[in-house]
Amino acid sequence: METKKQNSSSKKVILGVAALAAVIIFLAVIYNVFREKPVEGEKSITIEVVNQEKETNDYQLKTDAEYLRQAMEEAEGLTFSGTESEYGMMVDTVNGLTADYNANGAYWSFYVNGEYCNNGIDTQPVADGDTFSIVYTTE
Amino acid sequence: MDKQTRGERNKRSAGDIALIGAMVALIEVSKVALGFMPNIELTSFWIILFTLFFRWRILFAVPVFIFIEGAFYGFGLWWVMYLYAWPLLAGLAWLFRKQKSVWFWSIFSSAFGLSFGFLCAIPYVVIGMTDSGWLGGLQAGFVWWVAGIPWDIAHGVGNFVLMLMLYRPVCKAMERASVRLSLPHPRPKEEKK
Repeated sequence: METKKQNSSSKKVILGVAALAAVIIFLAVIYNVFREKPVEGEKSITIEVVNQEKETNDYQLKTDAEYLRQAMEEAEGLTFSGTESEYGMMVDTVNGLTADYNANGAYWSFYVNGEYCNNGIDTQPVADGDTFSIVYTTE
Repeated sequence: MDKQTRGERNKRSAGDIALIGAMVALIEVSKVALGFMPNIELTSFWIILFTLFFRWRILFAVPVFIFIEGAFYGFGLWWVMYLYAWPLLAGLAWLFRKQKSVWFWSIFSSAFGLSFGFLCAIPYVVIGMTDSGWLGGLQAGFVWWVAGIPWDIAHGVGNFVLMLMLYRPVCKAMERASVRLSLPHPRPKEEKK
C-alpha cells in the first residue's frame, strides 16, 4: 500500500518535471522562430536624437553592426552612457543630457522606424534602412 | 476558546507588524543581494513560503514590498506589472497551501518564473491596443514577450533550483519561528519517503 502511494507520488514528480522541461523547450522554439534576428553585412541606418527642447540631431552611418549599441558607438559625434544591467545597458545620458527618472520622471525612449522599441540597445537588431529615434521623454 | 486580554491582543498586533516588517526586509535584502545575477531571485521563494506560513500577513507584506520597490526605482511601467504579478503568486500559493511536497513547490515556483515575462507583457498589449487596436496590441505584447524569453527560462530554472535547495531547511526554520512567535502551526510536515 505504502509502496503504491510512493510510486504514484514519484510518477507525479516525474510528470511535473517533464512538463516543465517541455515548456522550456517550447519557449526556446518560440524564441528561435519569432525573435528579431540580426542582419549580417553592411547597412545604412539613421540615428536621431531628440533632446528636451525637441531639437533633433541626425547621425547617418554605414555599419556592419548587428545590434544597436555597436551602431551607436560607431556614430561619430554621438555620445551615450548608462548603467549595465542584466538586460544590457540602460541608457541615462545621451550627448551629455542626463534623463533622471527620480528627479522629474524623465527617461530616454527608443523607437525603431517610429515603433516603440521592445529590446534593449544590446539586443535590438539593426537592419538596412532602419531609423532609430532616441527621444528625451518625461511622464 | 481562550479569551485574549487587551494586552495580549496589543502584543499580538505589535508582533504581527514586526513580523510583516521582517518579511518585507528579508525580501528586499535578498533581492539586492542577488541583483547581480540576471533573473535569479528569492522574491518568489519568500512570497510562497510567507503565504504558506504566515497566511493573512502576506496581504500586508506584498503591497508594502511593491510600494518600496516603486519608491526606490521609480513608479514606471514595470511597477504596474508588480501590482498584479506578486499578488497573483501569493494568491496561487494560498490556493495550493495544502501541498507539502518540495517537488510540487519547485515546479510551481519554476512555472511562475517561466510565465513572468508573459504576465509582464499585458501592459504592452494594453498600450499597443490604445494605439493600434486589438491586433496591434497583441503583436506588441507578443514581440515584447518573445524578446525576453531567454530571461524567463533563466528565471524558471533559477526558481526551481532555489526552491529545491531551500524549501526544507527554511520550512524547518519557519516552523521553529512559528512556535517561538506563538503562531498557529499551519504547515503540515512533508511526508517521509
